[in-house]
Amino acid sequence: MTSLQSVVLKADINRIYDEKYREASAVKPKKHYARPEKKPKSRKNGWFIKGMGIDLPFLLIILVLLIIGMIMMFSASYPVAYYTQNDSYYYLKRQIVFAVIGVAAMLGLSFFNYNKLHKIAPFVLGLSYFSLVVVLFLPGVNGVHRWIGVGTFGIQASEITKFAIVLFFAHWGSKYYNKMQLAKYSILPGFIIFGTTAVLLILEPHFSCTVIVFILTVLMLYISGMRLKYIVLGAVGIAAAVGVLWATGGLGYAMTRMGGWGQALVYTNDQMWQETWQTRNSLYAIGSGGLWGLGLGQSRQKYLYLPEPQNDFVFAIVCEELGLIGAIIILLIFALLVWRGITLSLRAKDKFGKLLGIGLTAQIGLQVILNILVITDWLPNTGISLPFFSYGGSSLIMLLSQMGLVLSISRTANIEKQ
Amino acid sequence: MSKGYVKYHKKSDMGPNQRLRRRSVILILTILVAGFGAIISRLACLQLVQGTYLQEKAVEQQLTDTTINAKRGTIYDTNGKVLAQSASVWKVVLAPAYFETEEQRVSVAKDLAEILDLDESNVYEKTKQNSYYVIVKRKIESDTREEIIKLQEKIEKEYNLTNVVQLLDDYKRYYPHNDLASSVIGFTGSDDQGLEGVEYKYNKYLTGTPGRIVTAANANGTDMPFQYEQNVEAEEGNSIYLTIDETIQSICEKYMKQGLADNDVKNRGGCIAMDVDTGAVLAMVTVGGYDLNNPYKLSQEAQEKIDKLPEDEQDAATSEALSQMWRNKAISDTYYPGSVFKMVTASMALNEGVVNDNSTFFCSGSMTIADAKPIGCHLRSGHGTQTFTQAICNSCNPAFIQIGQLVGAEKFWQYYQGFGFSEKTGIDLPGESEDLFFSDNGEMTSVDLAVSSFGQGLAITPIQMITACAAVANGGNLVQPYVVRQIVNGEGNVIENTESKIKRQVISSGVSKKMNEILEYNTTTGGANNGYIAGYRVAGKTGTSEKLTSTYGSEDYIASFCGYAPADKPKIAMLVFFDTPTGGSYYGSKVSSPVFINIMSEVLPYLQIHTEYTDSEMQYVDANAGAYVGMDVDEAKTKAEQAGFTVTVKGEGSTVVSQIPAVSAKIPNGGNIVLYTDENSKSEKVLVPNLVGFSISEVNSLASNGGVNASISNVGASGNVVSVSQDIEPGTEVSPGTVITVKFASAEALND
Repeated sequence: MTSLQSVVLKADINRIYDEKYREASAVKPKKHYARPEKKPKSRKNGWFIKGMGIDLPFLLIILVLLIIGMIMMFSASYPVAYYTQNDSYYYLKRQIVFAVIGVAAMLGLSFFNYNKLHKIAPFVLGLSYFSLVVVLFLPGVNGVHRWIGVGTFGIQASEITKFAIVLFFAHWGSKYYNKMQLAKYSILPGFIIFGTTAVLLILEPHFSCTVIVFILTVLMLYISGMRLKYIVLGAVGIAAAVGVLWATGGLGYAMTRMGGWGQALVYTNDQMWQETWQTRNSLYAIGSGGLWGLGLGQSRQKYLYLPEPQNDFVFAIVCEELGLIGAIIILLIFALLVWRGITLSLRAKDKFGKLLGIGLTAQIGLQVILNILVITDWLPNTGISLPFFSYGGSSLIMLLSQMGLVLSISRTANIEKQ
Repeated sequence: MSKGYVKYHKKSDMGPNQRLRRRSVILILTILVAGFGAIISRLACLQLVQGTYLQEKAVEQQLTDTTINAKRGTIYDTNGKVLAQSASVWKVVLAPAYFETEEQRVSVAKDLAEILDLDESNVYEKTKQNSYYVIVKRKIESDTREEIIKLQEKIEKEYNLTNVVQLLDDYKRYYPHNDLASSVIGFTGSDDQGLEGVEYKYNKYLTGTPGRIVTAANANGTDMPFQYEQNVEAEEGNSIYLTIDETIQSICEKYMKQGLADNDVKNRGGCIAMDVDTGAVLAMVTVGGYDLNNPYKLSQEAQEKIDKLPEDEQDAATSEALSQMWRNKAISDTYYPGSVFKMVTASMALNEGVVNDNSTFFCSGSMTIADAKPIGCHLRSGHGTQTFTQAICNSCNPAFIQIGQLVGAEKFWQYYQGFGFSEKTGIDLPGESEDLFFSDNGEMTSVDLAVSSFGQGLAITPIQMITACAAVANGGNLVQPYVVRQIVNGEGNVIENTESKIKRQVISSGVSKKMNEILEYNTTTGGANNGYIAGYRVAGKTGTSEKLTSTYGSEDYIASFCGYAPADKPKIAMLVFFDTPTGGSYYGSKVSSPVFINIMSEVLPYLQIHTEYTDSEMQYVDANAGAYVGMDVDEAKTKAEQAGFTVTVKGEGSTVVSQIPAVSAKIPNGGNIVLYTDENSKSEKVLVPNLVGFSISEVNSLASNGGVNASISNVGASGNVVSVSQDIEPGTEVSPGTVITVKFASAEALND
């Protein structure tokens, strides 16, 4: 018992420290909004305090990805836009509008005190649950309920969910940072939150988002300090389940049921061949690129062979046009983004900022990985967009807004440094 | 719990912030190394390792392929005369997916149907398909093409549609000689694929490689905005030189048709001429062939028969009749060779040494083997005692039964195999049949042996018979028959040359030589009916065989003649057979020998085999009339008399103005030349006397008395002959000195 008491005691001290810290920061809130005074560049931190105090390299990486993504989305989409919308610039024009809105939101949010989200995090989660429930009662597309829309503008409920999960666990992890060793502060909320979310997402159904939410939950709990043995146990459990499925042949069945996952190049029957059409043509596109690619704009697979090349499968066209070299360069820029986002978040003075920044940045890395696993037929084709590249207003604006929050974290850290 | 506490304290050394930092580094590494590493290696695998395969697959679906037909190779005869050739035609293709309105469809369908002479509603159905390639009509000629081009212009002007109606190159097969060698050449189907004969057998050489126009297209099949077009030229097919000689083939067909008509042959006939040393087939005729340019047209007779059938049986009957018509009798039909086979039996006996010049055989008119019915000879009274050579010349069945017995069943089977009767000859034509022997292992009863020794009871194909005959003639070598001499590619380079192949030596060259002498003697003594041709040394044997099945009467026969020339140095062997002659006679000597003689008389000079007349023949040999016009009468007279002619001068003039026979015309040695000295005397005419039914000397005196010349034809070196025909009818008014050809035949022809 003594040991438990001392742990609790220690945790309490931590909490008290955190609360005091928050109170202290609340006392002089103006500091966060103050423009940093123009000072001679400090040699040590010169790079990071430029401009408006946000992290410029991170902003630069975002803008580079946004521009490359825009060009590639346009290249991939113009034939399909020409054939279906009678306007080659159809998707480009819209995406530019979304990007402008998104960038504005990002820059605006970089001035927003992210700490304000700390308290409302559970409320945001609740709101996202509400939207997930609402979406079930809205008319779906082919029995899939994902969109909440007003007029032509719609948003995927799951976009809010992903953000809400990260936000909630950043809130939870920073609040109970020193209690995270305990199962009831880590595993238990993890199970409850993920379980609830998963049920709602599966009802949509939205398999890939469920996977993302699961990984984000584990990731957030892990960096918040959840004991490693739970992760190891969980990993062993999942591995065992997959092993059993594989041994009993259930895995093949599951793969077949999930849109012919992993079977894109193998003809079994007409229906399956039809279902794996998109993935197969994605593989053809990727393979056609070779090392150097066919050249910008030279993709052939985008001529109606690869359906919706502007959406989830845009990177297949990137691979076809720019080759392995181009794909690797783009992935390296993404890697830079992840690295920069996480390291700058670590510079935040408060745990909430650190956790939120890491979570939001990791989410991008995660989505890149999952997207490419989908287009290369290593994951079922269930709708994971590629950040900055895939066409879509709500997700782009949401993404840039989240990046705005990360910039806000960097700004705060930079200001506090001075 | 306590364990966790201890652990916590251990890690707390670095404090909560260090833990977060450490875990963040692990997270970055996990995402970047494991995650990005995995996807990059996956991409590398797809783009580099599987790249080629995936690219091929992608290209496969992105490119639309239009096939350009290759020009089919030409078939030539051995001298390079064209027997089958492809000429340019076009096919009309519709791309109805380009249509925009119903009005366009209706209008284009109407125009197309009109130009192409098709059913309008059918064409309209085609315009409704959502496709870019619908064939409307194949093989249109250039005049129709012009009209289609006009229609294309009209469509472009009216509707601004450019690709709806397209013209693609195509080829059509032409056979300049129509039915010549039809069973050998064969014909092609609508896709230019060979269906019969050489066209079928050598299809892969003749077809060539189709070319392609490859264009990039999107998934809907329309052209992509980016330029990608690749043309692969069609590669012309190889051309084939046959061993068939068009001249020989024509000669054969001419006389075979005549023979078919003269003898009212019910079931067609065939003729094969072969180079005895190489096995090259010089001519192969299935008489009553078909027009290669119109191979689905039945003969009028057959068509009428089918039209009389109930409607539901007509289709089956038509296809049956067609396959009968296309059938190459020379290699697909089996028949009993009859007495022709005696040359084979005789060769066996000589080669085994069981007979010699001193052997004698007795014929009483029939012979009984075991308990079977007596086997009769064609001469009911019997031939009495004969030598071996006489037995052949008499074509005596009882004698050959005895010869067969001397050879024995076992040896007979060995030679049967040796002469190639037990296997297909392997000629490079489709549809060769196999023989039908009494048993698979050569076992035969004494009756079997008896009948087979004179060619009954064993069914073989004509090509087997002629090949065996060539072996008898050429010194005993069984050759491989073939019809394709050379294959030449589009540039004219030889890509395959058929080497003549000797399968084995069946009999010794000595026996072969002996057989040549015996068979030559056979034709000489038998006269015209046995294959004798004045001036040539011909060896041969007649045959009349009963057919196994009888359709047209109580007994059906196949009349054949198989022989070769020249007998001392054989060059060409020929088999002539008629299936079921129902004219005056069914004997080989009456039906097939004359055809053989007629053909050989033209073919041998064509092959530049020179005549060698014996002294007795010399007197009947024709000379050529000299040129006397323009000469002084006396001078001309002296000159003509010096050349051995008798001279009659008509008219009062002093200069020769005209002569009969004309310069270089054939005239019998010592014949009468009429010289005219003025125009008036030319109107004088004489009547042609009847010259049929007389001996040679009688004919000569009758002709000379009548003021005409008689050219004596087809007289044997010995034996009694009688004139059987004259080429100008008795009673016809002709100028004096006109040459009348009189054919003779043996007075006592063999009924075989």
